[in-house]
Amino acid sequence: MGEHVEADNAEAIITRIEHKSRKIESLLKQYKPVEALKTALEGSPPKTRDERCKSANWIVVHRALMAIKDVDLMFTSLDPEYYDILMKYLYRGLSTGDRPTCDQCLRIHEKLTHKAGLGCILRALSDTVNTV
Amino acid sequence: MITVLAEGTQSEISLKWRQLQLISLLSALLAMLGAPTTQVHIYKSVEENWERIHVLQKHDQIVAGIDWSKSSNRIVTVSHDRNSYVWNQEGSVWVPTLVILRLNRAALCVQWSPKGNKFAVGSGAKTVCICYYEQENNWWVSKLIRKKHDSSVTSVAWHPNNVLIATTSTDGKCRVFSTFIKGVDAGKPRKSGSGSSLDAKFGEQIVQLDLSFCWAFGVKWSPSGNSLAYVGHNSMIYFVDHIGPSPSAQSVVLRDLPLRDVMFVSEKLVIGVGYDCNPMVFAADGIGSWSFVRFLDEKKSASSSARYGSQLTEAFGKFYGSSKQGTSNDKSRGGVHDNCINCIVPFKTSSGSNKMTSFSTSGLDGKVVIWDLKNQEDLLEYM
Repeated sequence: MGEHVEADNAEAIITRIEHKSRKIESLLKQYKPVEALKTALEGSPPKTRDERCKSANWIVVHRALMAIKDVDLMFTSLDPEYYDILMKYLYRGLSTGDRPTCDQCLRIHEKLTHKAGLGCILRALSDTVNTV
Repeated sequence: MITVLAEGTQSEISLKWRQLQLISLLSALLAMLGAPTTQVHIYKSVEENWERIHVLQKHDQIVAGIDWSKSSNRIVTVSHDRNSYVWNQEGSVWVPTLVILRLNRAALCVQWSPKGNKFAVGSGAKTVCICYYEQENNWWVSKLIRKKHDSSVTSVAWHPNNVLIATTSTDGKCRVFSTFIKGVDAGKPRKSGSGSSLDAKFGEQIVQLDLSFCWAFGVKWSPSGNSLAYVGHNSMIYFVDHIGPSPSAQSVVLRDLPLRDVMFVSEKLVIGVGYDCNPMVFAADGIGSWSFVRFLDEKKSASSSARYGSQLTEAFGKFYGSSKQGTSNDKSRGGVHDNCINCIVPFKTSSGSNKMTSFSTSGLDGKVVIWDLKNQEDLLEYM
């Protein structure tokens, strides 16, 4: 646990995120926003303290998050294993202060809280090690 | 049957209760309640009422922990004043003996060892004190386990073998230590479920469990000592088997607010209490896989589909607009406790089979509640 990849591995992580980004774009073109979100959340948060990697990953997750139109429909195909990590990114989204991002994050936050309970929020807020 | 309870206040906002229950040969039902701040009160049950029969006043600051030893009929109290007292009953009075813990921060929790010849104190000084009685000096000696914890020790629990202790800390870790003291622990204890770790010297760390990324609380051993459970402030509960070089751990994710304390009813049944104000039941299935079963106080869960379990959920209702979650103006939230429950202890065990039949909980609402397990029919298979 807490195996943080050294700085020279940051490049490898960035490459992986770029690959993920291309896959997401193609999924979005096929009108598969939930698949895109799942892809974005996979391997998140990057196991590093490198802020560059975290930001790059957030950009990818943000892209997929904003493409979600029907939140209820999203939850019919999003497995519970993604709930905790999604909640962390919602809080990152809310911290940006960007109006459309916050609107979207709040919409999903309400539904996610309903689904995953307050425990999910607690886990997002209390984890100071695996930050997104 | 005796119940021991102590209470302290840090301010008007937070009431802190500790309680402990004991079995005595006397048929009288007693309880101890500490008044706010520095006292410990002992109550006796007279039919339906509770009568205060003793006041233990010796500490200068909040009493943070209390325990009673069944085998020696002694009470131990620890306090933020960094001292501890061992109370012996002589006739109708409890006589205190000061135990110098050699701490430079508050003592936070205490527990007697199963044999009653040692007790462990967790403290804010990142240390654990193991105290034992030295006959020749007529004095309680405190031996410290230093430089093992990175933060305050929030709870201590003795293994049934009287040697191992488990601790949880606000550094998020749960650790197991040997407390073997020559002359107190006669000979080397025999090998039990915990492997050869009993040969370890005093203060030697047997295992460090690194499961939680935030504060850990409420560690307890199962009755056999083969497994232990503790909780994290991230709404998780951890069950650990095979304590030793290669422990196997299970994490159970909670839907609701974090727990503060746990209690094993049997090897397969655990009850957790915490910020949801309602005890939660966890059970292990045939292959030893743990899962959440239900809330114990069912009436409450049934009466509120949208759940107003805590102040937080209420605030949440406001956050999303009262139209969606509704508001509850009712001060009492439908459950027995209306604030965080921070302590759970066994209350009665059936005389024949040594099975627990009831337990008690206490919370920040200043209530002590006794729960009967006999009428929880769906849980009987796990007991």
